Amino acid sequence: MERAIDAPGSDTGTQGPAGPPGPRATFDRALDRVKDDVLRLGARVEQALERAGRALVQRDPDLADKVRWEDAEVNELQRQINTEITALIATQGPVARDVRELLALYHAAAELERMGDYAVNIAKLAQQLASEPETPILKQIPRMEQICREQLRDAMRALVDISESDARGVAQRDDEIDHLYNSVYEDAIQLMTVAPERARQATHMLFAAHHLERLGDRVTNIGEDVVFLATGQVEDLNP
Amino acid sequence: MKTRDPKPAEPERDVREGPTIRVMATQTLDESEQIEPAAAGEHGSLDFAADEVVFDLQSLSCFYGSFRAVRDISLRVPKNQVTAIIGPSGCGKSTLLRSFNRMNDLVDSARIEGRILYHGVDLYADGVDPVEVRRRIGMVFQKPNPFPKSIYDNVAFGPRVAGYKGNMDELVERSLKRAAIWDEVHDKLREPGTALSGGQQQRLCIARAIAVEPDVILMDEPCSALDPIATLKIEELMRELKQNYTIVIVTHNMQQAARASDFTAFLTMGEDRAGYLVEMAPTQDLFTRPAHRLTEDYITGRFG
Repeated sequence: MERAIDAPGSDTGTQGPAGPPGPRATFDRALDRVKDDVLRLGARVEQALERAGRALVQRDPDLADKVRWEDAEVNELQRQINTEITALIATQGPVARDVRELLALYHAAAELERMGDYAVNIAKLAQQLASEPETPILKQIPRMEQICREQLRDAMRALVDISESDARGVAQRDDEIDHLYNSVYEDAIQLMTVAPERARQATHMLFAAHHLERLGDRVTNIGEDVVFLATGQVEDLNP
Repeated sequence: MKTRDPKPAEPERDVREGPTIRVMATQTLDESEQIEPAAAGEHGSLDFAADEVVFDLQSLSCFYGSFRAVRDISLRVPKNQVTAIIGPSGCGKSTLLRSFNRMNDLVDSARIEGRILYHGVDLYADGVDPVEVRRRIGMVFQKPNPFPKSIYDNVAFGPRVAGYKGNMDELVERSLKRAAIWDEVHDKLREPGTALSGGQQQRLCIARAIAVEPDVILMDEPCSALDPIATLKIEELMRELKQNYTIVIVTHNMQQAARASDFTAFLTMGEDRAGYLVEMAPTQDLFTRPAHRLTEDYITGRFG
């Protein structure tokens, strides 16, 4: 797919100043390609999340539909990354940081694919809410969606820079999301109590918040992947 | 083997200083003076219990004439484990390995500084018999080198020279079985060892090393002349043999070190071309998260 566009010439672009290729030049180029693919996957998921959130707030079933359709591309890109990484492990005998990097990218891709599914779930809720009588969306939900996207962007940057401190920063923001989720929970119960006819809408919003909360946990998992990549230690950043 | 006296030993002496307490040549290694091991801190994080240590290298340097091939290596080789030594060509891996059974004595200009304690005994002390050392510490070489004799005689040769009085047929069979080659040769023991395939010859050489009932088997690139299947058989064999022996292997093949060893020591070369130890660690740790950048660069193939 997009591989065909950036393949010619890109092999030399990432190697810095010209000089004789190092003994691992082929592997390094392949690793850079996988990294690019994971970044592209992250960008797609971020876009899906933004659209799902907008579809929810703006009661836009068509935009939600777009999110649902385009998830197939997210899944396909993840499969492609898995294939590339499996081949590199099988043929290149990576060790030390190389094998940690491939495993971290493999796992990050799996988490991103799952986040794409959460975005689809939110898009479905947006469609259902759009078919119900209008109820103001609880204000915490767009805020959660925004934090999730910021977290995701930061996590992808930490992955590229292999920055342990940035990865830890990503995990810290998870508390903020958890707090907002609890607040949505209380407000949804309140809404059901004072306006029982809106119980369906309240439940949909509660579910949307729940998906965002889960999504935040997945971003934290990518932060853990970065810590593993940087240090070789497996650590629970969200105990 | 006698265990080390738990009481503090006599004040340490430098055996090269003079013949104050000569160890008599008639004494066996078991009867030789036991020396306290160096403090654990000198060996990084690897702290083996004293009775688990087979070799204790204390600031070992190896010279050929005025050229220092190996510089100031301190490490411990644990008992009943496979320890791999890896590093770039010319970093002194083989020199180091050959110092473990005084094989370098056969080179006129070779000498060492520092100490190698073998079960607490200074291997290079006056009076220690190098022939006895080499019986205890066997060696398998890069190219299989069976004697131009029958398979049976290849295995029986060492015990005969040593004056073995037991049942030779049983010893030959046991040695060939331990070397995982009995099934392939039991019906042709009188045929020449040189008629076997390379991988079989190498296992025959291992059987020959085992026959004199050593304590340690040193292997110097034992698979570099073998095909991949024969290589894997030798690696599996090492896993079996470590139940009874301590194994030290020098290999260029990093994946072999990763597959077959419990501990890995990484050596590299300094500006003066002398090899030195960068780190020794459990193999799994060294290949997943090496402590030193030099190790990382070497094992990931980004060395120089």
